[in-house]
Amino acid sequence: MIKVMSKIQLIGSKGLLDEVIKTLHELGIVHIESMPSRISLEDTYLRREPLERGKALLKESLEKVLERLKGIYMLLPAAEAEEMAGGVAPVLLADITSHAFLNEVDRVEQEVRGLHAERAGFSEEISSIERYEKILKGIAPLVARLKGINNFETMGITIDRTKEDIIPLLEIEISRITEEKYQLFVKDIDKDIIGIVITYPKKYDARVKSLISSEAISEIKLPERYAEMSLFDALKNMVKRREDIPILIGNIDNELSKLSEKWYKTLERLTGLLRDTIDELKALAYCVHTRFTFVIVGWIPKEKFNILSSTVRDRFGDRVMVREMAIREDEIDLIPVYIKNPKLLRPFEIFLQALPPPKYSSIDPTPYLALFFPTFFGLILGDIGYGIILFFLSLYLKKRFKAKEYISNLSSIFVISSLFAVVFGVLFGEFFGDLGERLGLLHPIIFDRLKATKVFLILAIGIGLGHITLGLMLAIVNYIHRGKGKEALAKVSMLVLLLTLLIILAILAEYLPKAMITPSVLIMLIAFITLILIEGTLGPLEVLKSISNILSYARIMAIGTASVALAMVANKLGGLTGNVILGILIAGIIHVINIFLGILSPTIQSLRLHYVEFFSKFYQTGGRRYEPFRKRGGRS
Amino acid sequence: MEKGLIALAAAVAIAIPALATAWAQSKIGSAGAGAVAEKPELSGIIIILMAIPETMVILGFVIAYLILS
Repeated sequence: MIKVMSKIQLIGSKGLLDEVIKTLHELGIVHIESMPSRISLEDTYLRREPLERGKALLKESLEKVLERLKGIYMLLPAAEAEEMAGGVAPVLLADITSHAFLNEVDRVEQEVRGLHAERAGFSEEISSIERYEKILKGIAPLVARLKGINNFETMGITIDRTKEDIIPLLEIEISRITEEKYQLFVKDIDKDIIGIVITYPKKYDARVKSLISSEAISEIKLPERYAEMSLFDALKNMVKRREDIPILIGNIDNELSKLSEKWYKTLERLTGLLRDTIDELKALAYCVHTRFTFVIVGWIPKEKFNILSSTVRDRFGDRVMVREMAIREDEIDLIPVYIKNPKLLRPFEIFLQALPPPKYSSIDPTPYLALFFPTFFGLILGDIGYGIILFFLSLYLKKRFKAKEYISNLSSIFVISSLFAVVFGVLFGEFFGDLGERLGLLHPIIFDRLKATKVFLILAIGIGLGHITLGLMLAIVNYIHRGKGKEALAKVSMLVLLLTLLIILAILAEYLPKAMITPSVLIMLIAFITLILIEGTLGPLEVLKSISNILSYARIMAIGTASVALAMVANKLGGLTGNVILGILIAGIIHVINIFLGILSPTIQSLRLHYVEFFSKFYQTGGRRYEPFRKRGGRS
Repeated sequence: MEKGLIALAAAVAIAIPALATAWAQSKIGSAGAGAVAEKPELSGIIIILMAIPETMVILGFVIAYLILS
């Protein structure tokens, strides 16, 4: 839910400003109003002052140091080692900007960057060696046979297999040029390339080379480092280098880890300290001043106001005053939005992160999402076996990635959703598709999803009707709450129009008695006219959109049926093999694919039903998030 | 003969919206991928835009179902 916020004002003597900012920073609950234009300066004697020169300079220099430290931090491998005591690590801010420390930073930066450059060079070399390796390996035996022949030149070339027929012609030409003093070896390198090594007396080198280039045959060009060497030496060197480089890279990595052990945690702490200090200096600029006092305006969750006022009173007594201010009508949409839900619902908040935050005056959809997302997911997946596998998988992932909030939250959502899948699996009598039923263990309790498609479709669309109606009701309640009667009436007529339209359809299809048609049409007409009067011609269009929204819920049935059909195919194919082991293997593979699809598509589809169909009825974006002024430490 | 035609009608009712959805999603998807690369904060809106044409194939599915039943 969206927490109620209070607008607060802190007033105190100017000399205490630094200390007050520090206190607020430690408390970490006040969202300091940072946009100057958003505070109306009602009193003309209030003015905004730029940061004092000394502090501005300090901020600038701290920002520079921070950038450099961050740069080094990014280049170091993560180290678990605790910070080493004494020595390099400054504790005070003044030490960080001292010459001695900056010189030390310079040295470390150069060392780290140097090591990285060297490492990158080695990696590049090894990848270029790998490129030549296949070709060189292919012709290595040929070259080895020519070892030790003096005054002879060796040339390696490669030819596409499609041009294989030029080899005899080439040999004739070379024989003519070298007066039959040559040797030519041919070797297949792979299915597309043939390698050829030619050896001949040095004096014919120029003429042979010009022949090769004029025939547009590619001579094996060696990397720059080996360009001056003969083919044989280059090959020998490359093989050796290929063995040496990983060792050299290992050495560099070792050196980096050593540096990291010494610096990683220190850097983490220092960047945190710097960030916090810079934040405090920035916050100073958000305040307004009179000649002797400062004024800070901000927002705080109402429930935390007491903590703030008692802390300020304890530390500063009467010298700093905190007061809660009245929120003006035009400020309502500027109030930062702080969404906080009970622990069980909190993981579902991640689905809202993809959307811009809601307005302060609108509704937090998390509780509804927490109820309907697992329900839709369960309805679509609806299988005991798949549900159990997903349950344990998500439980494992939740444990494994405890530290990673996003994955942990996502896993929590799937733990809940998989339980819903199991429950619906029991209701539909599904265990790995129809396996439970085949074994005579299970029977559908409410209906069989494959056979009772009509019932399933009606159920899905019925859920859609309920969900969309709920969305419209939420909008109505919200508008009434905010005293916007006209908008509320528009939504009410929209809802009435929608419902009467469906009732009339049901009467025409003879599901409801014909006697109801006159009152229904009358009510529909009234709603229609009201809607046009309030919203104009676009109003009724919105109703049509709602109808297509409701039909869209048919996807619950469509995808659910597809999932159970695939599971059944797996069992059937497994059964067809006639061999128990092979059958289990085949069925297993298809079930694995189905589980993967069974996680992916229900998630996407239920999310979509929320984002597009449900939220469009009441969710109003345009709020800004509550970002309290708090210590960030290592966090960015 | 009539049965075959009904089946064909149902197939057409779902096939054409499916193609239309695919076409629309391909256009939205490629534009959306570009937009998200530049502004990751738009991803929620892009997911919604991406999902909108899907309604076509679902409507086609409902119609196909009505034809068959």
